[in-house]
Amino acid sequence: MARRAEVAIIGGGIIGCATAYELARLGMTDVIVFEKNYLTAGSTGRCGAGVRQQWGLEMNVRLARGSCKILESLNEDLQYDGDIGFDQGGYLVLAFDDSQMEQFRKNVKLQNSLGTPSRTVSVDEAAEIVPHINTEPLVGATFCPEDGHADPFHTTMAYAEAARRLGVDIRTYTEVTDIEVEGDRIRGVHTDDEEFISCGMVLNAAGPYSGPVAQMAGVEIPVYSERHQILVTEPVNRYQKPMVISFQHGFYCQQTPHGSFILGLGDPSEPKGFNIETSWQFMEHVAHSVLSVLPPLADLRVVRQWSGLYNITPDAQPILGGVPGLQDYYMAVGFSGHGFMVGPMTARLMAQMMTGEDMDMDISMLDLGRFDRGELIHEPSVV
Amino acid sequence: MSEYRIQQHPILQFSLGRRVKFYFEGEALEGREGEPVAAALHAAGVKVLKYSAERERPRGFFCAIGNCSACLMRVDGRANVRTCLEPLREGMWIERQQGKGDLDA
Repeated sequence: MARRAEVAIIGGGIIGCATAYELARLGMTDVIVFEKNYLTAGSTGRCGAGVRQQWGLEMNVRLARGSCKILESLNEDLQYDGDIGFDQGGYLVLAFDDSQMEQFRKNVKLQNSLGTPSRTVSVDEAAEIVPHINTEPLVGATFCPEDGHADPFHTTMAYAEAARRLGVDIRTYTEVTDIEVEGDRIRGVHTDDEEFISCGMVLNAAGPYSGPVAQMAGVEIPVYSERHQILVTEPVNRYQKPMVISFQHGFYCQQTPHGSFILGLGDPSEPKGFNIETSWQFMEHVAHSVLSVLPPLADLRVVRQWSGLYNITPDAQPILGGVPGLQDYYMAVGFSGHGFMVGPMTARLMAQMMTGEDMDMDISMLDLGRFDRGELIHEPSVV
Repeated sequence: MSEYRIQQHPILQFSLGRRVKFYFEGEALEGREGEPVAAALHAAGVKVLKYSAERERPRGFFCAIGNCSACLMRVDGRANVRTCLEPLREGMWIERQQGKGDLDA
């Protein structure tokens, strides 16, 4: 096994695997991905896997739209034997009061200016798009037919397999236990099989564990992890095409191509930490919230629940880039619950940044320094 | 009484409910009130309860304790009813459902 690599990527989720592929595509094939568990075991494989372009900031619309475009042809581009399951049934974003609707109108204007075909819809139109919706509490909604969801396992595997074919070394069940720094440079990484691998660059793509991984390099980042729970129902024939999402309740609800419904909901009182147990309180809470808007789903039986971790920053936006005073250390962390949907585009940009290529878009505002400068990013459309 | 119904069991004793009429795929059948729908169908000689969603292979009475999904049927318009647990009532309308079942009755 190689004792040296140009790039060591820590984390085998969507960010780590996609960035490895994008690096290899740019000619940087001397890359090792270290995953302490199996691929997707962190946040990626536990996520709701929605992909929406309906954001309130230009940067997020661009990241999500770019990712959406990449996903549209990913099976072919990566020559994947399976199917990433990108299902563009649209996203219906619900408004329950006039101020929400006012914000959504602004969002749609911005989205349209960037090419995203979203539109505001009346309550009646919303009921045409999702006939089983309870229109009573609704004021309106926005809809984007290009939004949807993809299979997070297949998407990650597609990237990992393509990266491997280009020469990337992906090591699962191999934990990076320390990052060795000498002066202002990265020397290499230590792994739990007592190996030292010297490397030119390190990318922290450790998702929920990004904080502890950054600390290995002596870097403090303002992130924490927080449990978010999901449940999945028995499958039924296609009933609901779009993802339905409510910022008011904090829920999202989709029907997967398999027919199962996936329901997720954030709990504002959830403590920080790495707990991924599940709770009956969640089931009750999500059922009450979703059924108040989509009553017929009450007839579905719940098959199981699971949890995953959001890696959250002070402004719920990711930290992308390096750290002043430490060369060759990069981060793509703190996605705050929307890493999967911006993953493909983010990976491309990180690879461009790390190889000194021209970048497809400016992401300098997402650097770590924004927290010291007080330049937090205020995205109005976060679940 | 059908040959598929256990008449005498070495250990258990059955108290049979009253005879009731129900419908399977539109055909009138007779069963015992309160027994599992799947048991009534079995006693009436119905062995195929559904066809698998993807390859449309026949599925019959299997786990009989509500776990395996082999007996999911459409009952009085409701999809995915576990007929091995659902008690038989007079006039019930039982159908083999299409695919994974439809949420809107």
